[in-house]
Amino acid sequence: MELLLTNLGHGMSVALSFENLLFCFIGCLIGTAIGVLPGIGPVATISLLLPITFGQPATTAIIMLAGIYYGAQYGGSTTAILLNLPGEVSSVVTTLEGYKMARRGRAGAALTIAAVGSFFAGSVATIFVAASGPLLTSVALSFGPADYFSLMLLGLIISAVLAQGSVVKAIAMVVLGVSLGLVGTDVQTGQQRFTFGIPELSDGIGFVTIAMGMFGIAEIILNLERPESRSVLTTKVESLWLTREEAMRAIPSVLRGTALGSVLGILPGGGAALSAFGSYMMERRLSKYKHEFGTGAIEGVAGPESANNAASQTSFIPLLTLGIPGNAVMALMVGALIIQGIQPGPRMVEAQPDLFWGLIASMWVGNLMLLIINLPMIGMWVKLLQVPYKFMYPAILTFCAIGVYSINNNVFDVYQMLAFGIFGYLCSKLKMEPAPLLIGFVLGPMMEEHLRRAMLLSRGDVMVFFERPISATLLGIGFIALLTMLLPNIRKKKDSALAE
Amino acid sequence: MRPNTKNLISGGIFILVAAIGLWLNTDHTLGSARRMGPGYMPMLSFGLLGALGAIVFLGGFFNGPDKLEKWTSLEVAAVPIGIVAFFVGYFLADASGLFTGWYPLGWGCLAGCLGLSIAPGWRPIGLVHAGLAVFGLMLEQMGLMLSITAMCIVASFGDTTHRVKGVIGMIIFLCVLCYLVFIYELDIRVPVWPVFLTQ
Repeated sequence: MELLLTNLGHGMSVALSFENLLFCFIGCLIGTAIGVLPGIGPVATISLLLPITFGQPATTAIIMLAGIYYGAQYGGSTTAILLNLPGEVSSVVTTLEGYKMARRGRAGAALTIAAVGSFFAGSVATIFVAASGPLLTSVALSFGPADYFSLMLLGLIISAVLAQGSVVKAIAMVVLGVSLGLVGTDVQTGQQRFTFGIPELSDGIGFVTIAMGMFGIAEIILNLERPESRSVLTTKVESLWLTREEAMRAIPSVLRGTALGSVLGILPGGGAALSAFGSYMMERRLSKYKHEFGTGAIEGVAGPESANNAASQTSFIPLLTLGIPGNAVMALMVGALIIQGIQPGPRMVEAQPDLFWGLIASMWVGNLMLLIINLPMIGMWVKLLQVPYKFMYPAILTFCAIGVYSINNNVFDVYQMLAFGIFGYLCSKLKMEPAPLLIGFVLGPMMEEHLRRAMLLSRGDVMVFFERPISATLLGIGFIALLTMLLPNIRKKKDSALAE
Repeated sequence: MRPNTKNLISGGIFILVAAIGLWLNTDHTLGSARRMGPGYMPMLSFGLLGALGAIVFLGGFFNGPDKLEKWTSLEVAAVPIGIVAFFVGYFLADASGLFTGWYPLGWGCLAGCLGLSIAPGWRPIGLVHAGLAVFGLMLEQMGLMLSITAMCIVASFGDTTHRVKGVIGMIIFLCVLCYLVFIYELDIRVPVWPVFLTQ
C-alpha cells in the first residue's frame, strides 16, 4: 500500500510536469471535440495524430493519446443527451434516458450526472489500474514463451468473440491481420517474405498506414454516403444542479456502473461500448424506479456513463501489464510504444516507471480536467456541432495524407493507405470488422516469435502448450469462450447487446 | 436455401488471399516444428485463413438472406472500368518513360479512382481516393500547399453539397493550419512550395 502511494506520487510528479500537463490537456480537449462530433471516433483520431507524436518523449505521447480516448467518452454523452445523437458508440445507450431527461427540462441534471459519474468512475478505475498493474505484472514475469503464445491467442480469441457480428468472420479477420503482419523481413533468417521485391515493404506494412486507411479514410466514405441529419438544439440548459432526490437516486447507479465497467474494461474486445450497454441492462433490472425507464430515468444516464468511462481506463490494464491490446485503440497504443522503441509487456513497469505511473497519474489529472472542460463549457461544444461534415472530411483526409507521408518521407505509404481505404470500405460493406484485423496485425509478429521460441525449447513438441499449467489454463478459457458462442441463446444475447 | 451474399463474398476473399499467400509461401523454407523456417508461420496462418474462409463461404449458402445493397447498372459497369483504368494508367505512365519511382503507380491509382467515379454512387469513394492519388503525385514536385489545394478540390467533388466559396475558405484554413502544425511546429522534410520556383 505504501509502495503504491510512493509510486503514485512519483507518477504525479511526472504527470504534473508542464509539458505533460499541457499535452494531457490537449489530448482531453481533442478527445472531447471528437467525442461531440459524430463521424469521427477515437481510433481514427489517434491514428491520424500518431505521426505527430513521434518527435515527443514516449510518456508525453502516450499521455496525450490516452487523453483522447477517455476524453471521447465524456464528449460523446453531451450530444447524446442534448440532441439524441450519440457522438460515440459507447454513448448510444445514453440517448435512451438522457435525451428523454432533456425533453423533460432536466438536460442540465443529465449532463451533470454524466460528467460527475464519469469523473468518479475514472478516479476509481485509475486506482484499480494502479493496484492491479504491478500484481498482474509479477504474475506475467514468470511466463515462458509457450505461456505468452497462449495468452496472445486467448486475447485474440476473446476480442473476436466479443466483436460485433459473426465470430468466424471476426476470427478470420484476426488471422488475416496476423498474415499481413508477416510481410517484411523474417527476424531470424533475414529472408524477405511477401515483399514482391519492393524495398519499402522490407520493414513490413506500416501499422499507421493500415489504421489510417481502414479507420480514417474508409470512415470518411461511409459518412459521406449517409445523409447528414443534425437537429438544431431546441432544449435549453437551465441549471446544472441536481435535485436532492436525483442525486440520491444516481449514487447507487454510479457505484454499480463503475464496478461493472472496471471489470468489463479488462476483457479484450470489451471496452467502453459493451460496459455502457451492460450497465444499462443492469440498471433497468435493479433500479427501484424501473417504471420510469423510457421516460427519462436518471439511473439510465448515471450507470452507463460511469461504466463506459471506468472501462476506458481499465482497458489499459492488459496493455500496460501484459503488452496485449484489447481493442483497436489499445492496438494503436502498442504501435505508438513500439515506434518509440518501447516493447510493451510486463517489463514495462520496471523499465519505464515514468511511463507506467505517469500515465496512470495523468488519467486522474485528465479526468479532473475533463470535468472542467465539459461542464461549464457545454455551450461551446454544442456550437462545434454546427460545423458540417463536408468541411470536416477534407481536414481528416489532409491530416492522414501528410501524416502517413511524414513517417518515412515516401509517397508509397500514401498509395498503401489508399489501398487500405478501399479495402476498409469493402470490409464494412461485407460486415467484416476491421478492429480484430488491427489487433491481429499488432500481435502477429510477437506471436510468431514466441511460437518459435516455445517450439525450440520443447524440441518441436506441441504438447508444451497443454502441459504447462498457465498455458493450458489460458487455452482452456479460450476454448470455453469459443464453445459458448456455439450456443444459440448466448449468441443471440451478444448480438443484441452489441447491435448499435 | 437462403444465401448470404456478404458471407459468400467475404469467404471468397479470405480463400483467395489464403491461396495467394500459400502459393507465394512455396518460395520459403518451411523448416521443422522444432526449428521453424521463414515459411512455417505463413503456412499456419494462411492455412487457417483458408479453412476459416471455407467455413464462412459454405455457411454463406444457408445463414442468409443478407443481400448486398442494390447497384445500378452504371455502378456495376464502373468497377471493371476502374480496374482497367488502373492498369492502363499504370502501364501508359510507365511506358511513356517520363516517370520513374512510384509515379506510375500514382497515375494508375488516379486513373482507377476516376474510372470508378463515372457512377454517381461511387463518387464519395472514387473522388476521396483520387484526391489522395493527386496528393501523392504532386507532393514532391509541387510542394505541400499546392498538393493540399488540389487534393481538397478533387475530394470536395465527392460531396454534392459543396459550394465554391466554402471550398476556397476551407482550403485556405487547411493550408494555414498544416503550415503551422507540420512545417512550423514539427518541421517535417517536405517541400512547401513548387520545387521549380524555389530552385
